Amino acid sequence: MKKISLMVLMGVTLSFLYACANTSSIARVHPEEVKGLPRCAECHTDTWTALNHQAQDFYLKHKFYAAQQRAACSTCHKESFCVDCHAHKEEIKPNDKYKERPELNLPHRGDYLSRHRIDGRINPASCVKCHGRENNERCKTCHR
Amino acid sequence: MKIQKKITGAVRPCVLKLAGTALITCSLLAFDHPAAYATSISGDSLTILRLRENKRDDQLFPLYEYLNLSASDTGSQGTISVQLGGWGRIDLGDRSSQRRSDGDIQYGFLSYRANKNNLQFNAGRQWVVEGVATERLDGLYLRTDLVAGFTAATFVGTPVTTNPNFEGGELIYGGRIAHTMPKYYSIGLSALRNETDAEGLREEEGVDLWLHPIPQLDISGRSSYNSLSKGWAEHAYTLSVTPMDALRLSASMQRIDYKDYFYHVTTSALSLTNGILDPNEELWNVGGSIGFLPTKNVNVALEYNRYEYEIAGDADYYGVTASFTTPTALTAGASFHRMDGDTGPLRYNQYRAWATQKFGPADLTLDFFDVDFDSSITGRTNTYSLAAAAGYNFNRSLRVTADIDYQRSTDFDNELRGLVKLSYAFGFGKEGK
Repeated sequence: MKKISLMVLMGVTLSFLYACANTSSIARVHPEEVKGLPRCAECHTDTWTALNHQAQDFYLKHKFYAAQQRAACSTCHKESFCVDCHAHKEEIKPNDKYKERPELNLPHRGDYLSRHRIDGRINPASCVKCHGRENNERCKTCHR
Repeated sequence: MKIQKKITGAVRPCVLKLAGTALITCSLLAFDHPAAYATSISGDSLTILRLRENKRDDQLFPLYEYLNLSASDTGSQGTISVQLGGWGRIDLGDRSSQRRSDGDIQYGFLSYRANKNNLQFNAGRQWVVEGVATERLDGLYLRTDLVAGFTAATFVGTPVTTNPNFEGGELIYGGRIAHTMPKYYSIGLSALRNETDAEGLREEEGVDLWLHPIPQLDISGRSSYNSLSKGWAEHAYTLSVTPMDALRLSASMQRIDYKDYFYHVTTSALSLTNGILDPNEELWNVGGSIGFLPTKNVNVALEYNRYEYEIAGDADYYGVTASFTTPTALTAGASFHRMDGDTGPLRYNQYRAWATQKFGPADLTLDFFDVDFDSSITGRTNTYSLAAAAGYNFNRSLRVTADIDYQRSTDFDNELRGLVKLSYAFGFGKEGK
């Protein structure tokens, strides 16, 4: 009974907080089609000026932006865009899938099978987000 | 950690509960949805044929079909959409993996996004990215703005994992509360718990921030704490300064404590039990970069990274990348990087050069990548790959690409791989890419 009362109270409180927010949602689809690697500051003067896709540190920082406000990414990128790299189960490396887009600097270029142990020694933490709990069935071939 | 037992037979009760909840909620949303203002249906198909040989001289011709579908219906209050994506493979030649055919549903969810308060509700297989959570789950996700700049997000479901060595858990839930002043900052507190039979496999809390007090300054990062091992798993922060449009300075810091960060994974390759990763190891990675645009078409970046370990030897990684782009036809670039570690494999030069040229509806790409080790690895000091790709756009929707990739590596003398790709986009209405 106590639990149910607490849940009802929480629901009412959250509904009240939601009703009073009165903000406009981020556009679901970007009003103009954006091509290539955009520098959002070319048009934006708001928060999104930070999203310069050509910046040398954008690849490093995109995870922080996505974890804060993924809806902003979704205005231009469909779910399938993220899945190309952040896959549940995938047999084709991103770099192999898009050989005609070398400027994207997609991970695991060239002979990565022999080089992955070097990257893994340098910073195995960078492997975990994509291979720690997903997309790792083939690891078992050697890592028993 | 327990070895994963293959789950067969009956569907887990929590999955049924979640599916039922999702169906009821979606039905209510659909029932309550006013007449559509705009309907959009779009999709893309990617058919890929790979051609290669393996070490046993098997002829491998796996044929893949990737299909993504999106349908949305926009009304006066918001948009209901369905997103679905997956792939399938069949081997036309010798067996390329354990099974001659395979496939996966990568995502499939029903979503409602309101026009007010950034309210979003998703039900189904989805990828949730909220603070410490970067998780794929079969379940529910709710996010909304609240009063006075606060936002809240919560998720619950069954974790979607691949479990070659260890189980991924039966239930995952968590959330994030953040406060945002859009012009200046966003700071969030988040948590997640992953469990099996009420026993915790993962329990993480974290703080994430994004500060931009002035347009020229941008600081982002997060710290995550592992409640089960009782230690800080990660601190990762990046600071960027853009004093002028053509110049961007960046500094980054990352600290990883192995025993807390690699606490529970599903593969022995990244497990603390494999004898490769030392649970007592700590990594500090400090670095910086300078990005410079001398002209609108030229981009130059210098970068430096220092890796310091508690146990293993330290390493420096530094280099330069330059790229050139014309608005219509040409993209080209080159880079040089040096890894200066304490052992042979960690001492190498890395070179890369690439170019893409458009010729009307056609395009041609060349990409050369070379790693030159200071000492030999399995009798070889130099490894390289050279790829050439050609593409042709029949129209805005239909494109064919073929590429060939030659590799000389520490494992292969001469390896030639090919790939043919047919992509087709279809639908009507306006969606992202």
